[in-house]
Amino acid sequence: MSPEMNDAFLNSRLDELKGELSRMKAPDALEAALTAEFRKRHAKARRPALWWMPPLALAATVALVSWMVHAPIVLQPSPPAIEDVAGESDPGPFLALRPLERIALEPGATVVATEFPRALLADWGLPVSPERASEPVRAEMLYSAQGEPLAVRLLD
Amino acid sequence: MQPELSLLAKMKQGDEQAFVALYRKHKDAVYRFALLCTGSPHSAAEVTQETFIHFMTRTDQFDPTRGSIGAWLCGVARNLARKEYTNREDATDPSDLADDASLPEAHIDRETPLDRVLKGEVAEEVRRAVAKIAPHYRDVLILCELSDLSYAEAAQVCGIDIGTVRSRLSRARAQLAERLARKGILGSPVRAKEVS
Repeated sequence: MSPEMNDAFLNSRLDELKGELSRMKAPDALEAALTAEFRKRHAKARRPALWWMPPLALAATVALVSWMVHAPIVLQPSPPAIEDVAGESDPGPFLALRPLERIALEPGATVVATEFPRALLADWGLPVSPERASEPVRAEMLYSAQGEPLAVRLLD
Repeated sequence: MQPELSLLAKMKQGDEQAFVALYRKHKDAVYRFALLCTGSPHSAAEVTQETFIHFMTRTDQFDPTRGSIGAWLCGVARNLARKEYTNREDATDPSDLADDASLPEAHIDRETPLDRVLKGEVAEEVRRAVAKIAPHYRDVLILCELSDLSYAEAAQVCGIDIGTVRSRLSRARAQLAERLARKGILGSPVRAKEVS
């Protein structure tokens, strides 16, 4: 038998095997098992690394709200808003012309920069040198909403 | 991008449908290859399952510049199937053998317990004869003659060059022809086919 004929026979036998093999299929059950495996692995992969952050944030929020509801609330009167009219740094303390309790409760106090004769200080019980009584003095006045002077701060 | 690579990219993103599409495309080829390597439908199913689990977990190992997904899967299946048949056969490191070296007859002729896999009498005899060829020759024969892989793809699967694929294929055909002739299926022993 010639080598070519042998090859032809061999190819024919291999074709026979190949034809028979073409009818062989992977078991159907494999697909379901592999799909489930794929789903499981990718479900793990999709879980973010900081998955514990949202539950922690929720717990913290609940704790905070709980504390706010149950903790005693202390109401403190807010000090009157003081407007820095001069726009400069604080030159010093105000001298109260009225009782502090009243000033603290005054709702609409405003600060006004002004200039007046130094002698006026004597009316508020502040010391005034007679030699300088006629000189003007620059000051900031804290007035109540009704225009009543509550405190004064000398600027020079 | 080729459709298959596009599916692969989607699969990497967790697209289940893309995985299923790739599985359906390659499952039977992988199963048949595993069946020929292991000689057992049960082992072939296991190898197929492990191959596709490897596919979904080690997708990054696939390099599209080196070959097709089908060839890469066959390579994975080959490695997994080897675990099966090395339990039955002495492993032969191909690098220890010259391409034209003849294997000891004791190694080639060792009987392995093979279940009947195919219905056709002749096809089953041919399959058994293929199963008895030394693994490094047999794999090339299965890949090139029965799985329709190109020589380049078979070279990729086996990690050898194309010239070695040709020479191993030639020797595998000669061994197969000799076995079939001995069984009276072919007629008489043949010389190795010149694979061009």
